[in-house]
Amino acid sequence: MKPLLSVRNVSYAYGPRFVFQDVSFDLFPTDTIALMGANGAGKTTLLKICAGLLAPHNGEVLYLDKPLSSYKRREIARSIALVPQEVQVTFDFTVQQFVEQGRTPHLSSLFGTLQDNDRRAISRAMECADVTHLAYRNFNELSGGERQRVKIALAIAQEPRLLLLDEPTQHLDIGRQAEVFAVLRRLNESGIAVVAAVHDLQSALAHFPTGMLITPGLPLLSGPTAEVLNPSAVRQAFGVALPGTAAGLDVSPLGVAVNGS
Amino acid sequence: MASQVKPVPEAALSAESRSIAVARPRRVTTWIGLPVALILLFGSVMIGTMVGAVPISARTVFAILTGRHLASLQSEELILLQVRLPRVLTAGVIGAALSIAGVLFQGLFRNPMADPYVLGTSGGAALGAAMGIFLFPHSSILGFSAAASLAFVGSLVTITCVYALARVGGKTPTVPLLLAGLAISVVLSEASSALLYLRDEVSWSARSLALWLSGSIAAVSWTQLLLAGGMLLLGGVLSIPLRSVLNALVLGEEYAQQLGFSIEFARVAIIVVASLLTSSAVLLGGVIGFVGLLVPHVVRLIVGPEHGRLLLFSALCGASYLIIADSFARTVIAPSELPVGILTAFLGGPLLLYLLRRTKREYAL
Repeated sequence: MKPLLSVRNVSYAYGPRFVFQDVSFDLFPTDTIALMGANGAGKTTLLKICAGLLAPHNGEVLYLDKPLSSYKRREIARSIALVPQEVQVTFDFTVQQFVEQGRTPHLSSLFGTLQDNDRRAISRAMECADVTHLAYRNFNELSGGERQRVKIALAIAQEPRLLLLDEPTQHLDIGRQAEVFAVLRRLNESGIAVVAAVHDLQSALAHFPTGMLITPGLPLLSGPTAEVLNPSAVRQAFGVALPGTAAGLDVSPLGVAVNGS
Repeated sequence: MASQVKPVPEAALSAESRSIAVARPRRVTTWIGLPVALILLFGSVMIGTMVGAVPISARTVFAILTGRHLASLQSEELILLQVRLPRVLTAGVIGAALSIAGVLFQGLFRNPMADPYVLGTSGGAALGAAMGIFLFPHSSILGFSAAASLAFVGSLVTITCVYALARVGGKTPTVPLLLAGLAISVVLSEASSALLYLRDEVSWSARSLALWLSGSIAAVSWTQLLLAGGMLLLGGVLSIPLRSVLNALVLGEEYAQQLGFSIEFARVAIIVVASLLTSSAVLLGGVIGFVGLLVPHVVRLIVGPEHGRLLLFSALCGASYLIIADSFARTVIAPSELPVGILTAFLGGPLLLYLLRRTKREYAL
């Protein structure tokens, strides 16, 4: 199987300080990957590089064997969607209007009017992310869990092949986390590759078969999540020891419960 | 493309997501709003042409405009076609141009406080006008006074300088852009005030500059009106394709980029179009405050924040608003005139406050 996205020896620096160096990995169309690492390890930066929003200082990113930088911004937006951590909506957009923006890279007319297929894609996306009933609510009045799903709905409306999410479950209670993970699982089953930056290691173990761990100064670890999260790697990455077994981190009963919901 | 997503299984729906669905908000739809806005505009044109030193009845206005030349109406015909109609249309052009520019700048800066003069246009225009009044008080270009022409040039030069100053390493972040606009505008405004003290015959010049800075629509010829109307038309047409990037910008610059826009290009395009519109308004009527700030606000409260509708309705309502304000400015203290800028503030402030109070919930920008 050919990789969807290949990251080759990528480094990125803010000023003189390198966030990470020489990162390489391949993403396949069926992947569901948890991207883990301490605060400031460069998870957001790496996601932005994968989405073509930042250009790496060294190395290159290939999308379907062609450099990402050789695509037009609109072409990338039709294939790769990034769900950012925070969004500030200036005016009173409804959820419907918010999700409609996901069609922007597909619109062909000069006036930017939505066609029938755009409307279909929007209602499919809202259904999939379970936000149809919120359509006429004001985005700024939604709860955290609702906002997260609305942002995901916008990304689905882009009809991407790769969905990148920056901490999609941050600030959410376990019930709302489970809803977000359920949406991600449905997307992955429908053939969209998913990469999510995740802080909660238990969620990563429970919901993501593959994991990647960024540790400053060390090579990127990737593989089955349980193996990536071995005690020594966790200690190096986060600077704390976690109760663990030789096979990896303990999955607490809570983690199992979330998985089963 | 992976678009065949599965429907949601019932069990996956949580208590939260079962919360009551909210009905479509009661916002004015385009099919009702457009005729209303057009009738409003037509009504304002009628009022504007009827009132004045010599009142003209609606029937007479119709008779003259439909081309019936009656000997008994010769003086009215002259007043209507040579004085009043050009003046009313000028007010309309200025109102529409400032309102569109207001929508563009508020959308670009994601800030409802932005107005058409946000990038220093008013300061540049003031200095240009002052130079015109003091240095070439009796010359004119294409029928425009030296003050108006130099104000036009001044506003364009200022925006170019502000943009160049805020540009760092191929990027033009919005906060430095706003700060540079503010700084330059203040400096230039004070410079034009300083010019006042350099002249002996202060009274006349100061008065005409003050009048100019509060915005006053002078009598214009059809040629001048055609020129400015052309600039409005160009700016209006160019702003239509900006609609989708303005909508994406509601979610933030990074989101807009993620959705496939080049932010630098969009920024330049928006600034160029908005500046063209603002400068055309400056050329015709000086610095008229509050229109470009107020009209997009009020229209947004009525038709919602989607930028296609917002641009269309702001243009129509802005034109009506300034025509009405100018009709008042001409008549309240007749035979002399108030600067129209005073009227736009007096009429607009209370209207905006009323609408803000009436929208029940917290005004989320």
